[in-house]
Amino acid sequence: MSLKKIIPPEFLEPNWRLWSFVLLIALGILALFAFPMKGYDGYIDPFYSPTVVILPLIGLFRLTCYAFRKYYHRHLFGHPPGCSVSERLNEAKRAYSGETGFFRVENLHRYFMYFSAAILPFFFYDFYLSLFWQHSLALRFGSLFMLADTLAVTIWVFSCHSVRHIIGGRLDCFSCTFASRLGGSVFKFQSRLNARHEALAWASLALIIAADLYIRALAAGLPLDFTILVL
Amino acid sequence: MEKVRLTVYRSSGEGRGRFQEFSVPFEEGMTVLGAMRYVEQNLDTTLAVRWNCKAARCGSCAAEINERPALMCKTRVESLGMDSTITVTPMKAYPNVRDLVSDPTENFDISGRIPAFKPKKGLKKPWVFYERDVERSQEFRRCIECFLCQDTCHVVREHKSGYVGPRHVIEAAALDMHPMDALKRHVYLNREAGLGFCNITKCCQDVCPEHIRITDNAIIPEKERGADVFYDPLVYAIKRLKGENK
Ligand code: SF4
Ligand code: SF4
Ligand code: FES
Repeated sequence: MSLKKIIPPEFLEPNWRLWSFVLLIALGILALFAFPMKGYDGYIDPFYSPTVVILPLIGLFRLTCYAFRKYYHRHLFGHPPGCSVSERLNEAKRAYSGETGFFRVENLHRYFMYFSAAILPFFFYDFYLSLFWQHSLALRFGSLFMLADTLAVTIWVFSCHSVRHIIGGRLDCFSCTFASRLGGSVFKFQSRLNARHEALAWASLALIIAADLYIRALAAGLPLDFTILVL
Repeated sequence: MEKVRLTVYRSSGEGRGRFQEFSVPFEEGMTVLGAMRYVEQNLDTTLAVRWNCKAARCGSCAAEINERPALMCKTRVESLGMDSTITVTPMKAYPNVRDLVSDPTENFDISGRIPAFKPKKGLKKPWVFYERDVERSQEFRRCIECFLCQDTCHVVREHKSGYVGPRHVIEAAALDMHPMDALKRHVYLNREAGLGFCNITKCCQDVCPEHIRITDNAIIPEKERGADVFYDPLVYAIKRLKGENK
């Protein structure tokens, strides 16, 4: 059997979404376990905010996110490998249980979301801390970097489908009570972000890794940081 | 004159079919359905092809064009590239009747099993409800029942799981999200209709000619509503304490 037959064809395609995820996750794992680093020069590494203990929950939040689910079901497990493939891999011979077997856990997404939402303030707090540097209030490039990654993560969490359900999606009538009117308006606004959920999921992950790499680069002595404003 | 090259699935409805090549003179704005009509009228009158409105409104001309489920009347031949051959096959999720015609009858049977609209108790007539309350249902009512989404869904196509399929989830969701309706169909969807088999890979949403956001606006919300009932440990614990069966 040739190698081409063993490796699912989608792995050989130039599929930037899949490969960027694989790369980002590999970098994340390296950053966490192989080369842990808590921060440098007033910047706290996003992987260590607030504490590494809750990281598995954040990991589970990402893994059960509807955007990431789509990618691994399609590109890792090949269910389906593509929308327009006519003769699919082995067709009916492959076992499939969707989200009724092991992947039932996906239904716990909202609980992981609660934990993740709970740590968001820490990211903002880290940004705030990074402003106080050598006993003065200073805005450095690295702080902006941290702010960008914090905002991306916040918007991504807010655009989550479980959030959408909780804030208003679960209601059938938006104009019946005062609370549902409010819920309906938030739902409408959130739905616009939700439509971009996949892109936000990617961007937030990429920015976290980038912030981590940036702080590491500073720690390694690369002269990348500069001060924008000192008060 | 420029030619459109086509390879078209032919079959008598029994056993495996074969592919036949045709070449059709190109006309400005020609659709795949236009090309098939040319074949039917001038090259081979035995070709079975179904169509009706020619305006993407009836869903009759659903087929697979270059292996992608699409309406023939809505697909322009130039959009597929003039220098390649266009492959036209019937929807493969359903029994083939002849040539490009398949029989999606099963969908009408599934449709009949979805719990019908049931008004809430004690509503005063005339019913008053607002646009913003029915916007979500209205998106799903755009459906033209072409069944392309069913055809592309790998669960419907490859696995005999009992999953009703995306078209029927939006049908149930349209009723579920209606402010005057009393039933909770997410229990039915998650328990009997196999919604758990959908792994939200969004092919249905990608092919829908009406651009209904099937997965985002119907399937995921129904899954979330199901999670309330079946996977919420808090709700579960409370029901357990009260001695209610879930
Ligand atoms: S999102 Fe679900 S219903 Fe739609 S094609 Fe994918 S598996 Fe089928
Ligand atoms: S939801 Fe879209 S693709 Fe599915 S049957 Fe209706 S119009 Fe066709
Ligand atoms: S002929 Fe009616 S949708 Fe194509």
